[in-house]
Formats: sequence, structure tokens, C-alpha cells
Amino acid sequence: MSFDLVVAGVGGQGSILLSHIVADAAIRCDSSTRVRVGETFGAAMRGGSVASHVRIGKDVYGPLVSKAGADVVLAMEPLEGLRVSIDFLKRGGVAILNTRPWYPVDVNIGVCKYPEVEAIQEGLSGLGADVYLLDATEVAIEAGHAKAANVVMLGALSSLGTLPVDEECLLAAVRDRVPQKALDVNLKAFELGKKAMKELMDTKKLGKTADCTGVN
Amino acid sequence: MANVIAEGTVGKRVLLMGNEAIARGAIEAGIDVMAAYPGTPSSEIAEALADVAEELGFYVEWSTNEKVAFEVAAGASLVGARSMVAMKNAGLNVAMDTFMTLPYTGVKGPMVVVVADDPNAHYSSTEQDTRVAAKYAEIPCFEPMDQQEAKDMTKEAFLLSERLSLPVFLRSVTRISHASGDVTFGDITKEKSKLGFNKHWKLPYRWAVYGPPSVAQRHVWLHEQLPLVKAEVEKSRFNKLFYVASDGSMSEWASGKPKAKLAVIASGLGVSYALEAIARLDLGFEVPFLKIGTPFPIPTGRVCELLKSAENVLIVEEGDPVVEEQVRSLVGTTGISVKIFGKSAGAEDIKCDKAGVSYGLIESVEPGVLPPYGEISSDKVLGAIRRTLAIIDETQDEGEAGVDEARESLRELVAPRSSTLCAGCPHLGSFFALREALRKDKGVHIVNGDIGCYEQGGYGIFSREVKGDDSDSERYRISSPYEILDTTHVMGSGIGLAMGQAQAGYRDGKIVAVAGDSTFFHATLPAVANAAYTRANITFLVLDNSWTCMTGHQPSPTTGKDAIGGDSIILSIPDVAKSLGIEHVTVVDAYNIAESKEAVQAALEYEGPAVVVLQRECALQVQRRTRRRGPAATYVDEEKCIGCRICVELGCPAVTFNAESRKAGIDEILCVDCGLCAQVCPQDAIIDPNRTTCNADS
Repeated sequence: MSFDLVVAGVGGQGSILLSHIVADAAIRCDSSTRVRVGETFGAAMRGGSVASHVRIGKDVYGPLVSKAGADVVLAMEPLEGLRVSIDFLKRGGVAILNTRPWYPVDVNIGVCKYPEVEAIQEGLSGLGADVYLLDATEVAIEAGHAKAANVVMLGALSSLGTLPVDEECLLAAVRDRVPQKALDVNLKAFELGKKAMKELMDTKKLGKTADCTGVN
Repeated sequence: MANVIAEGTVGKRVLLMGNEAIARGAIEAGIDVMAAYPGTPSSEIAEALADVAEELGFYVEWSTNEKVAFEVAAGASLVGARSMVAMKNAGLNVAMDTFMTLPYTGVKGPMVVVVADDPNAHYSSTEQDTRVAAKYAEIPCFEPMDQQEAKDMTKEAFLLSERLSLPVFLRSVTRISHASGDVTFGDITKEKSKLGFNKHWKLPYRWAVYGPPSVAQRHVWLHEQLPLVKAEVEKSRFNKLFYVASDGSMSEWASGKPKAKLAVIASGLGVSYALEAIARLDLGFEVPFLKIGTPFPIPTGRVCELLKSAENVLIVEEGDPVVEEQVRSLVGTTGISVKIFGKSAGAEDIKCDKAGVSYGLIESVEPGVLPPYGEISSDKVLGAIRRTLAIIDETQDEGEAGVDEARESLRELVAPRSSTLCAGCPHLGSFFALREALRKDKGVHIVNGDIGCYEQGGYGIFSREVKGDDSDSERYRISSPYEILDTTHVMGSGIGLAMGQAQAGYRDGKIVAVAGDSTFFHATLPAVANAAYTRANITFLVLDNSWTCMTGHQPSPTTGKDAIGGDSIILSIPDVAKSLGIEHVTVVDAYNIAESKEAVQAALEYEGPAVVVLQRECALQVQRRTRRRGPAATYVDEEKCIGCRICVELGCPAVTFNAESRKAGIDEILCVDCGLCAQVCPQDAIIDPNRTTCNADS
């Protein structure tokens, strides 16, 4: 058994750092678990699609999540969340998407269209996924810097409750791995992300109850 | 945090990237000298070592190219130091001359050659498998299955090199080097190297390959070492026989068991994928398994034992069928009755007829059960096991589980994301200026690219459909900087190609080559001298952003910093070009499009070799030093914007365009206020409050 996570984003959004924090925290929490992080990205430093695979479990060997094998897709950017989920999100998995788009040059020069975030949500729900939309960039700005959106997403992931890693371990890894001068902003980003996700989950629960009531 | 790889704590378990694990292995072995040229996916090895070099007291350098790095490491080893050199797959091609020759003299202090291959060419010009080079040079090769082994094998490679007096090869791949895993630390050796030099060390004229007795005799000496190498790999703990049960659990090897239907030989990362694939398949029988850590030479004894354990054997490895060919040869020599499956066609598939030889399945693009190109994964190995069993059982392979319609229909929503230069990248200005300068002349110009961030000038627009056509000379519109480069091959190749085009008499358009500052010193210096010497009529643009950026901002000869962050001299590219005989040399600011365009135009008009150096430090490095809080100041005055999209053609990811309102926009988070878009806007609709430069057209 393994917990398989794919972190998606655009180069420069900090998705690789985010995946390293999760993996590092997993080792801190459990001295016997195996951990792998596999990164897939193009040659560019920035601006290209980035997907980082995080695998935690006793039988994990390779660094790549198998097709349709991810328990959770955590996306720093909605289009990248869609791209990665189509290949990797398992049926019934969870997708948490930062709603702030980073438009591809292909869209800017008018060759193709950027999908509506609602269409992405609907599409992924069609895969049986639980989809959460979170404006992590806005939350990060509230915490002090847009760059902390990755740690907002980490906070959100921790609220989800399925990650086999304790919050203290996550925070210890955050403290060690984010730039020290940005530590306070990141700790705040984590808290705000956690809170925002809790609210989304509560709303979802209420929504489901309301539906049931409706049927009755 | 302090870099954990320097810590002495034995048994400490941490998350390390494969490259950091290799660095840690070298630290445990007591490395004295590390040399490298950056190349993805290998760069973090020397980076990690540079980070702790001062603390631990060893030497690290970023050499100007891989051949130089290889020779620095070799020289250190000739005086008894423990040395390592690291490079990417293509880097070995650069170092090849010395790499092939050094084994003839051997080494004194241990020397480890790390090459990170790149199956699937995520960051490379080829998928070349450099294990073949280890065989070519006749030196032993290690290949790790994960990050732990990357560390352990590096340490062992030093010890083996010392025992054999031969350089030892460590082949990594992207999914080892650029993946991370849990690694448990071993002890760091306390033993210091003894430096010394003896011209006749153990053998006469030891280090002079032409010295007596002869070069050929040195080749004989190298062959005399091969039995020692073979003995080493036979007993290596990295080569291991065991069984894998249906649930993925492993058990000890035992002789005398009945033959299994299928056994697996896997090398390096292939071991990890094969173990996962077997566990996922639930085969219902125990699979005899040989894990190989030395793909050259293979541990013949253990391979024979494995071959006798099953009717069929699947060979799993990343790259070319290197292990597979050695195993097939062994099967042919020994006559062991077993069928081999892998990436190439089996002997039974090769038919000879009277007319000659018909190669049967060899003619197929994928003659085996695994593709001979691209990278493998546990998904692919799983498919290969299933295909193999279907062939054995003469049944139909059921293939992947049914197509998930919901998933496939979602693909229509996905917009491609072309790779782009960064917001504020000086190359955006250079390429815009080049495009404008070339436009003045209606010819079919050739722009030869090179390797670095600016190679993205040849990546194209992913979403744009382009078809090949048969015409000999054709002019195409360049609507973004990502379409401006016409050729890209390897480090330094652009200027050489340009000279060939010019000397062949091509006159349909201008001939240009571009290269970055690090590439300039890496591989273009002989070509620049050649251009001066032959009076080649070419324009050579050097895009100098002061760093080796694409591989993660390592210092270059134009940075003013050495590998460990100390001050160094700054080499002047214009002075070097002049001293190599180039008479027309100009220097401009890449953030000033008007000035850059003018300089490029003058160079294009000049008869003979002309060099334009477009300088401006990488925008990411500037931002790191002066991180802005809050949004960018640049904005679009929508009243003035007429929707012409010229700013979009600059190719900056921070310039957006709203198709409905037909107005340009600036992403306030991405934008770095460089002022380039404000310069290209013909309506003065982009306002950059910090602007100091003038319009491109003025």
C-alpha cells in the first residue's frame, strides 16, 4: 500500500519544493516508511508544465505514480491540475486546485482557449473525483507573499486528513526547507490554507446534506 | 539550513535527491577533487559538493566544459587524490577523447566518472545510453536502482577504482538523479589521500600513453585487468539473486527448485520498476529475479544461474539493451535452453533464407516486448510482463483495461503549454531585436541555435500545427521568439553550422548563430577562431546573462564567482572574440531593443565574421537579490491599446491577451518591470513607470 500524490503546476510556482516538504515530513514521521519523489518537467527553468510525484509507503520503489493511481492531485494552477489529473488521478481521488490561472503563451497568441475553471471542476467530478477550488494565490497574498501559494496548498492538503503525515512533521519540514527570511509568511500561509480547506470541506458536507434533504 | 549531506551521523535517514546521494557517497569515500560542467540532470552533484566543500575541506570547480572537468579529475587522481567528475549524457561526448584514452594508463588515486543519462530526453538532445561508453572504454560500470544505492555505489566505485587502478563509471538516469528518496548515511572515511607523483608508477612511463613499451601494450594491460573486473562484479553485493512472490515479498535464492515459467533480470532503476510491476500483477507464481548493479560487465555466474532457473527470461533496463545483448551472447555461447525477452528481437525471430538474411521481427520498430526508446516505468514493465506471458502461453494479450471515456473526453479541454522564457528574460529582448533586424531584408535567413535557456527559441508553439513541405528555400513568419531558431543540436554546434552554410555559398539570406556566455566558453572558442581564420561571413550573437542559467544558475566565467561562492575574475567575451581575430565586435544592453537591433543590423551588413554581445544579467538572479513585495508597476492603458498583439509577440509570459476585449494585459505577479513590452508597443499603451529606455522604433 502506498499514498500517491501528484503536485502539478507551472515552473517557478514552487511545486517541487512543496513535494519535497511532504516527502521530508513523511520520513520525519515514520522511520520505516519509504519515500520517493519523481519530478517531470521540461527543459525550461520556468513557464513549463511541472508535475512532481510523491510516493509514501512500505512497498514503494520507483519514483513515478502509476497511471490513474494518484490518491490526491494538488494543483498550483487549474490547467495543470486538469492535465495531470486526466493521466494520474484515480477514480474517486481528490483534486485540490488553486484557481489562479497562468496563461500559456499558446492562449496569449490566440491559438487555443483556456478552459473555464468550472468546466475543469465538472470534468474532474466526472472522474468520480472530489474537487476543491481554492484561490491559494490570493490566500498567500493575504499571508504576505504570492510566492507562498505552495504552502497554502500544503495547509489545504493537511486539512484533507488522508495524508499519512502529521501536521507537526509537515511544519518541521516547512521550517527546514523554506527560505528563512520567508518563514513567518509561510507559517501563516500554512494556517490560512488549512483553514480555507476546512471551510471548503464543511461547505461540501453541508451541500451534500442539503441535497439529501432535497430528495426527501 | 546547513546542508545535511555534510553530517557525520551514521545511520541518519534523510530525503535526498539522487544527485545529492551521489555527492554524499563521494563525501563518505573522502573525495579530494570534484570537477563538473553543469548539465541536467547531473548538475546537483557538484552543486551539493560545492555547498559543503569549504566545511569539509575538498576542492570543487565548475570547469568550462566536460573534457576540461574530466582532465582536472584525472590529473588529480594521477597525483594520488580521490577525484570525481560528473556530467550529463551529452557531456561524455565532449569528454570522449580523454575518456577513451585514460583507461590505457589507468589512474593512481581513485577516479569516479558519473554520467547522468536522460531516457525520454526530458532535457537532452539525445537518449544515448552511456553504459555503452563504459563498455567501449572497457571500464566497469555501476547503475543504481534508487537513491540509497546511488550513494552506496558511489562510495564503492571509489574503492573499486582504487583496487583496480582504473576509472570507474557510475551511470545514473533522470529518474534517479532528479528523483528523491530516503537515504541512510554511512560513515565518512577518516583516511586522507597521500599525494605524490612517480613517472614510472608500477609500470614504465606509466602516464605517457605513447611511452614504451607501446600504446598497443597498454591495451594489453587494460585487457589483463578485465579478469579482475569480472571477479569484482561476480562478488559484488549490488548483483543479487532472489525470488519475488505474487504479493511482491522477496525470499532467499535456493538452488534445485523446479524451473519457473518466467524469470526477470533487471538492471538499475529497472529493478525498482520490475519489483513494483510483479507486485501489482499478482502472477500466482514465484519469479526468480536477478538484480544487476553492474550492467558492464554483467556477473556471468549469477546470470547463468538465473538463466537455468526458468524457461523464459524478461530483461528490464532503462535505455539500450546493454545487459540484454550481453545475456543473449551468453545464452548463445553456453547453449543454455531459455527464451529471452526484452527490447530486441530474439534469435528465434531471425530467419536466414537462401537469398541472404531476412531479419524478421528485427525490422519492426519495436521488435521486443519493451520499446527500445523512451523511458520505462512500472506501468510499461507491467505491460511487458503481460505481453511476454501472452507469447509464452500463446494467448491474446488483453492489453490495458478498457479506455476510460470520461478521461479521454477531458483531453479536449486541455490547452497545450508551450515552454517559455521567464518574464523579463533578457533573451526576449535579444530575440525581438534579432527578428526586427532580419525583417529589414526579405531573404530566407538561417538562425543557428545552441544549448541554454535561449534554445527555447527553437521549441516552437506546441499548439500550432506545422507540416513539413518540400520546397528548397522558404521564408516563414516568426510570430514569437519560440520560432526564431532554425537549427539546434549540441553545445557549440550553431556557429560551426553557420560557417558551413556560408562557405557552401548559401546566399538566399543572412546567416546567424547564437550562443550564451557559458556555451561561448564551453564549445565555441575554436569555432570563433575558425570564423576569423576563414573570414566566414556570419553574424554570431552571444547572449551574455552572466550565469549558466538553464541548469540552475551555476557561475560561469562571466559571473565573477567561483563554484563555492568566492570571488573570481570576469572574463570579457568581447575581448576574447577580438583576441581570437574577430574585427567587428559590438556590445549592447539586451534590455535596449533599439540599440540591440541597430547593432545586429550592422553586424548582418558587415562582410566577414561579426560578433554582437548582448549583455544583461538573468532576470531571475536579479529578482533573487532584490525581491519585490507587492504587484508589478507596469500596466496596459486600455484606452490606448488597439489589440495589435505586437507585445504578445515579444513572448513574455507576463504579457497576457484578452481575446474578448481584444486588449493586452500584464500579469502583476509574474511581471518584473523590465520595460521590454513598453518598448515594443507602437501605441505607447504599455506604461512602465520605471522606464529609462526608449521605443524600439524611435
